[in-house]
Order: sequence, then C-alpha cells, then structure tokens
Amino acid sequence: MKWIKRGLFFEPGRHRLPYGCTEFAQSPQALVFDDFVRIYFSTRARDAGGQYVSHIAFVDTDRHLRQILRTSTGPVIAQGALGCFDEHGIFPINVVRHAGTIHAFTCGWSRRVSVPVETAIGLAVSHDDGLTFERVGPGPVLGPSPSEPFLVGDPFVLVRDGRWHMWYIFGKSWTACPAEPGPARVYKIAYASSSDGRVWERDGAPIVADVLGDDECQALPTVIECDGVWHLYFCFRYSTDFRTNPRRGYRIGHAWSRDMRRWTRDDAAGGLGLADEGWDSEMLCYPHAFRCDGQAYLLYNGNAFGRDGFGVAVLEQ
Amino acid sequence: MFAWRKQGRVFDPTTIAHADWMNEFAQGPATLVFDDFVRVYFSCRPKADANGQYESRSAFVDLDRADLFRIVRFAPQPVLPLGGLGEFDEFGTYPITVARHGDEVRAYYGGWTRCASVPFDVAIGFAVSRDGGVSFAKQGRGPLLGADLHEPFVLSGPKVRRFGDRWYLWYIAGSKWIPTEGRAEPVYRIRMATSSDGMHWERLHRDIVPTRIEADECQASPDVVFANGKYHMFFCYRYSLGYRGRERGYRIGYASSTDLVSWTRDDDRVGIDVSAEGWDSEMISYPHVFELDGRTLMFYLGNQVGRHGFGLAELDGVLS
Repeated sequence: MKWIKRGLFFEPGRHRLPYGCTEFAQSPQALVFDDFVRIYFSTRARDAGGQYVSHIAFVDTDRHLRQILRTSTGPVIAQGALGCFDEHGIFPINVVRHAGTIHAFTCGWSRRVSVPVETAIGLAVSHDDGLTFERVGPGPVLGPSPSEPFLVGDPFVLVRDGRWHMWYIFGKSWTACPAEPGPARVYKIAYASSSDGRVWERDGAPIVADVLGDDECQALPTVIECDGVWHLYFCFRYSTDFRTNPRRGYRIGHAWSRDMRRWTRDDAAGGLGLADEGWDSEMLCYPHAFRCDGQAYLLYNGNAFGRDGFGVAVLEQ
Repeated sequence: MFAWRKQGRVFDPTTIAHADWMNEFAQGPATLVFDDFVRVYFSCRPKADANGQYESRSAFVDLDRADLFRIVRFAPQPVLPLGGLGEFDEFGTYPITVARHGDEVRAYYGGWTRCASVPFDVAIGFAVSRDGGVSFAKQGRGPLLGADLHEPFVLSGPKVRRFGDRWYLWYIAGSKWIPTEGRAEPVYRIRMATSSDGMHWERLHRDIVPTRIEADECQASPDVVFANGKYHMFFCYRYSLGYRGRERGYRIGYASSTDLVSWTRDDDRVGIDVSAEGWDSEMISYPHVFELDGRTLMFYLGNQVGRHGFGLAELDGVLS
C-alpha cells in the first residue's frame, strides 16, 4: 500500500466550531453523500470545573476532499445524561450508512476516581440525514464483559452481506504509574459481529499481534478492502511516556487479512510514516479509511493527538 | 395479611471483634442451607477511609440449624477479593446471592466502582466456589451483567433462583440520577432476567413492580420464593431523597405472581413493619425469605440499612 500525503486538511482554529471549540479535531470519520463528504470528528471544550468534555462536530467537503464547504453549527448529538457512560463526551463517533439508515457507533467516556476514565460503545441513529443523532438508549450497546473488564471503545463498523462487523478495542490492564500523570492503560483490538447492529457476539481475544511487547496499546481500528484483501489500520504506542516523547507516541499500524478474521501484522506494508517535519512529524494517530468515487482515502491525526486538526492521504492507484 | 413474628436480631457486627474488614454493616442476607447449619452471606465494611468512603466485603456467618441465634462460625476471610485497578468491583462486593449447582456454589454479586460526577456505579459479577461456599473464584475480571442500551447504570441487588430447569435473576436497574446539593442520588427499580445455564442471560428490560409511594420510588432486594401455587416476592422500597430517617426510609413490600413475569403488588399483605423502638424502629429492608424445616423465615435489616446487622422473623402459617 502506498499512501500519498496531501498534508493537513482541516485546522479547527481556522473555522468557527460549536461550543467555542478552537483546537482539537480528533478521529475524523467520513460519511459519503451524493455531492459532498461529511467528516465527523471530536473536539473539546472545558466544563465549569475546567475539565475537558468532548463534543462531536463535522465538516463537509467536496467529493475530492479538496475544498471545505461548511462546518456544523449546532450539537450533532446531545451530551450524555448524569451518570451515563458517555456523560463527559464521545470520542470517536463512527457513522455507518446501511439500508437507508444512518447509524452512529459512539465511544462514550466518563470520569472515574481511581482511574481517570472509563469508556463503552453506544448506538445512535440519525433521522435528518446525518445532521444530528439520537441515542437508541441511554446505556451502551457494548460495554465491559467478563473477558473485557474495561475501556471497551473505538468502534469501527462495516455491514457486508447482511452481517454487521465491528472492530473495537478493550482494556487489558490499568497499572499505577507514579511517574505519569495517571495510571497507565493497555488496550488491544478485537472483533465482534452482529445480525442487527444491537446484539453483538464477541470473544474478547486480541486479533492483532504486538510489535512493542505485551504493553503495546492499540487503538482506533479502521478496515478497508483493496483487491480482495482486507487492510486493518490502527494506531499503536508504548503504554508510558507517550504523550510528549516522539519515540514512544502513536504510529500508524497495519495488518492484512483475506477472511476478515485472521490478521497478519505488517506495518511496513501499510505505507504511512512520520513526516520529517511539521504537523505529523512526531505522532500519527486515529486513522480512518474510506472510499469515494473509487479513490481510497486515509484521514488521520498528527502531533499532540490531533490538536492542530487532521490530514488526508490518498492511496496510489 | 401475613403475620411475621419478629424473633430479634441475630447478628450485630459492631459488637463482634472478628476482623478489621467486618467492622460494621451486615447487609443483604442470603442463605445456603447445610445439614447442620445455615450459612448466611452478607456484605460488611471496614472502617471508612480518610475521605469517609467505604469499601464493602462479602462474608458469611454460619448459624446452628436448630438454633439460628447461635453463631457457629464466621467466614475466615472475605469470600470474594476486590477487583483490580479500574475494574467494576474495585471498591466493593455487595450484595451477594448464591445457588448450588452440582458440586459448585455459584455467586452473583454487585460490584462497586467510584465515579466522578456520581458517587458510584454497580454491575453484576459472577463467581464460583468449589469449596462449599467458603471462597469464590471470579469468572472473569469484568461484569456478567453490566449496563446495556436500556439499563444505563446501577445494576445491583441480584437474587438468583432456579425454578424448573430455568435460572432466574431478579435485580435492580437505575433509571436516573437526581442531582442534589450534596451527592447525586440514583433511582432504581426491580427487573429480571432468565437463563438456561446461569451464565447467558436474557433481560426482560422492564420494571416489573409498580411504584406506590412516589414516581421516583427506589426498590431493592427482590426476593422470590414459591409456595402454594404461586410466587411471592418480598422486596424493600423507599423514597428517592431524604431516606435516611424513619419517615422516608426503607420498608418491606410484597408482590405475587403465577407466571414469574407479571407481578401484582400488594403491600397491605406484607405483614411486617418497623418496630416502635429498638434496632429496627426506623427502617426495615433487604428481606430474604426461605423455608427451613417446615418454617418460613425472613432475615432482614434494621436501622441504617444494616449497620448493626440483621434480624429474624418467622411467619405464622404459610405463604399463600
């Protein structure tokens, strides 16, 4: 796979966003319309206590991802209710068009006491062509299970041949780390499937081999088919000292499969590396692959987890 | 109306120096009957931490089958470990319900974690004992029944039963948190799930006992027993706010059913109320009804939701 980077595409500081957000456009996720492409992302505001909450916004672009047409002006999905799994925000949102409906699988998060955060996967639907979403219920569609004790999140869903396929992550461990801002978490990519998008079967087994050892953190899977081969992109990092140390932060990983089940990791064949300088020279994270007019695109974030926005790469034909 | 004759308090952890982790509270009594003793599981607490916060531990006390006021043995250790960092049961296991299954004893329990915007969340865990119920091994690090689309938080108070070849779980599910000046308070109601193997559960996804005292009535401890052709449920209920005193605190309620799914509430029949004075004069809660040697008995909690242990009542006649 050879991706040609076009560079930083959407810079949140240059646009007017809801909630007064001026930085962070994280985890871009595309939905293709007849005459434009909508890219949802998570941005941040601070609450009354000065702590971050995540909000979903979107930007509409032309179908070549060259021009920005408009940004969302109001809430895309309401904040979660008091005590709910997504009370403090959604990050990311994965939007799926299927049989005339638009579903969103959300990674909702809420603050905890002994660890900073817990996440679970929610489900919402749009009744206005993707402008806004309503939750199907106040709780998660996929939360912790006996074999996945916490941090179930980062859903990416494809519907193929009547079956709903989800790649997502779950937490394996939280470890106290006095030298870090908080406990260190380790999470891995897993797979679930469903006949209706609501009831999911899963076995809690990691599907992607580690290259950094047992404590490798794997996040935000995205899957795209090219010539009969399935390609899984994700980001991965060390479990500690990853926030500002460019040698230990997120990179884009890659694995391939012919059956969507058994994956062979091959990062080098993934074809997306750090730039020598600039906005994506220290970190690469939160990839999202999709197709429009036959062209495969990869959206992704760069340094500082997407503080400056997201970029676009195109697959060389 | 049923006629429960109160027999007095069986066990008060605050008067017994058994272990640091059994300093006070003996909540959510649940029995497992042996040949010559009755094991009563409950959840207790060590002293609160520097921030005034409690952990809860699950334990048991063995009572002489011929004299339930005679304590034979205490659990040497809590029957369940607390969960690890970030796990759903990191800060407590309360309550616990048990059922024999072949040579095993199975336990379902509420696991407690602490949240930032609300004080806690609860999900239901599963553990198995192969030593007759002295210690239980958790079946996985996460919950068996956690939040789902329509039950967003506070899944707690499990009571497991087997009728015929089906497993039944009555539990409570939270529907909202009410912000108050101090901490947020949850509203929860009784629900149920069924299973063919005790591990894969189908939830009914609806409140099965109507509210009586207010729309936000909180219900807990749905304890079901079969007698004389129908199912009898004893549970407890209280107001959602200001519930720490006599006026609005827990009382025991009653409902019955012939099909386990449709329940008719009839608190007028319950036949047990707070006493005029003493250890159960302000509230009564967490009933557990069981039959023993031809008697119908109830363990229940008194004031401060069991801070000073549980007592025993005996039914005159039979449940009908």
